[in-house]
Amino acid sequence: MIVFIISHVLSPNPALLWAGPKARPETIQAVAAEYHLNDPLLTQLYYYFQSLLTGNFGVDPQTGRTILSEVMFYGPNTLELVLASMVVIIVAGVGLGYVSGMHYGTKIDSGIRAFYLVTWSTPYYLGAIVSVLVFSSYIPIFPSGGNGSVGITYTPITGIFVLDALLEANWPALQSGLYHLVLPATTLALLSFGIVPRIMRSSILDTRWSTHVKAAQARGLEEGEVRRRHILRNALIDTTTVVATTFGWLFSGTIIVEQIFAWPGIGQFSYNAIISANYPVLVACVLVFTVGVIVANFIADIIYTVLDPRISLGEGG
Amino acid sequence: MSEARRLLRLLTSNALSLFGLLTTIIFVVLAVLEMVTLGAITPFNPYTTNFGAANLAPSFLHLFGTDFEGRDIFSQVIAALPVDIGISLAVVAVSVALGIVLGTLAGYLRGAFDEIIMRLTDMFLAFPQIVMSLAIAATLGPSLLNVTLSLIVVWWPAYVRLVRGAVLAVAAEDYVAVSKSLNSSFFYIVRKDALPNVLPSVLVYATTDIGAAMLTLSTLGYLNVGIPATLPELGKMVSSVTYSFFLYPTQVLIPALVVMLMVAGFSFLGEGLREALDVKLRPHILIRGRVLGKLEDPRMKGNPGQSPGPAG
Repeated sequence: MIVFIISHVLSPNPALLWAGPKARPETIQAVAAEYHLNDPLLTQLYYYFQSLLTGNFGVDPQTGRTILSEVMFYGPNTLELVLASMVVIIVAGVGLGYVSGMHYGTKIDSGIRAFYLVTWSTPYYLGAIVSVLVFSSYIPIFPSGGNGSVGITYTPITGIFVLDALLEANWPALQSGLYHLVLPATTLALLSFGIVPRIMRSSILDTRWSTHVKAAQARGLEEGEVRRRHILRNALIDTTTVVATTFGWLFSGTIIVEQIFAWPGIGQFSYNAIISANYPVLVACVLVFTVGVIVANFIADIIYTVLDPRISLGEGG
Repeated sequence: MSEARRLLRLLTSNALSLFGLLTTIIFVVLAVLEMVTLGAITPFNPYTTNFGAANLAPSFLHLFGTDFEGRDIFSQVIAALPVDIGISLAVVAVSVALGIVLGTLAGYLRGAFDEIIMRLTDMFLAFPQIVMSLAIAATLGPSLLNVTLSLIVVWWPAYVRLVRGAVLAVAAEDYVAVSKSLNSSFFYIVRKDALPNVLPSVLVYATTDIGAAMLTLSTLGYLNVGIPATLPELGKMVSSVTYSFFLYPTQVLIPALVVMLMVAGFSFLGEGLREALDVKLRPHILIRGRVLGKLEDPRMKGNPGQSPGPAG
């Protein structure tokens, strides 16, 4: 709905925008006719929702292929990158936050805080350029771009390269895929994860001196048991919500990181759409990103109920 | 010790928050100077191209070197400061104002108004920040006002939620019920009871958030969306030289590092403020080895990390 307002209502002359500033008047007319831009707004809204429900985003004016097929090609690649980053975020974020909180006020705590605050403050373009410079130019241990599928024959099943290689037991492909995945995924993860260790740390601080932890210690429970069952589990509840919100940052980050790492995903696709003023594609990309965020939040809600038995879905609670 | 002095002492006692405070002050002062003197503090004209002196490495004449058109990078950075800091401040300020007005109304009035506002923020929060402001800025076309607007559209919902949540918590307190029963007006309750409780957390969040706004703004600049060609902006400086970053890494790294320093400054400051204002943590804050504030539990004195153990 908002996407519709932005793309159809806000701009003074959408047809001109979609066709490009140098387009001839007849081209503008043709574009306006093709995308129903001359009709009344309500009619346009109808066509817009129709295209949403059928997944028919129209034809990419630059390549001539349908936008849906392009999204289906680039989407899984982005999913691969984002999910790999998510794994790094959960492991590194929760781990660092936990260590930092349990060592409150010490040098370790300050070091970890400085680290996550600095990575959080780093613009995506800086972080991505630095990691390419350092890890593939100065110390060439990782490839500087691509997802590793070039020159390797495989049959796409899910479209996610690493997963396909795994399903087919195609070990050289899997190796190449993982090898190409490590650097962009870690970069994207470390640049987006700042808030996860931060919330983890503060909820550790909230719980570790609270009465229920003291009670558990007073009952004579082992320290490890107290930490695992009473401190860590409580802290994880807050952290889950935050992990879901980092999906928004991850998707935003893919626009820059994919471009610098030449990763063939939605991020690079939308970057190219922006610089070439390819609006039909941009609208589709924004929609795909939004659906991704909504799905991520939904999954977080489910994990929530597993971690915290007090919360139940769909009972007004 | 007055509250303001205590706060200042807490901020300067911790290396991270001290760094944040100093960086923020330095960059804001530089930006204000640049604006007040109308660009007289830059050693070179940031727009003058000089192809004879292109791609120079940093030296005493050109502190940060020159770019592919021979423009002095140091002068460009200084010229870009008011734009980056100004837009970020404006975005956060407008969002805070919107958040306080809408959040207080929603949290206090409840009912249909609350429902509408909350569903609206839900809709806006579903979009990834950069993607949404990118789409708006690209549609509206490049101008200072448009890029600010595109960021505000993404920024305000978080503040409405923050203020509403805090107002809801305050409204449940007994003293508000007492105030109501004494026939206090809506504005009186908001001014005397709600705002003083809500403002500190909003301001702390806003401090860190200025950095976040700056990150998104410079990313828009990097993508060459929204910021007019005539305006200097740090992210835009990076993108204009991206293709030569293997050859001349300093041209890319320096403007980007300045962004990073500023964002880090604001977030360290915000983080420091949050810890300093958190009453729950106060008994555990150490200044030069001594615990600040009164201790509830004398057994934890000087050793806040350790639990008293079951024997206590």
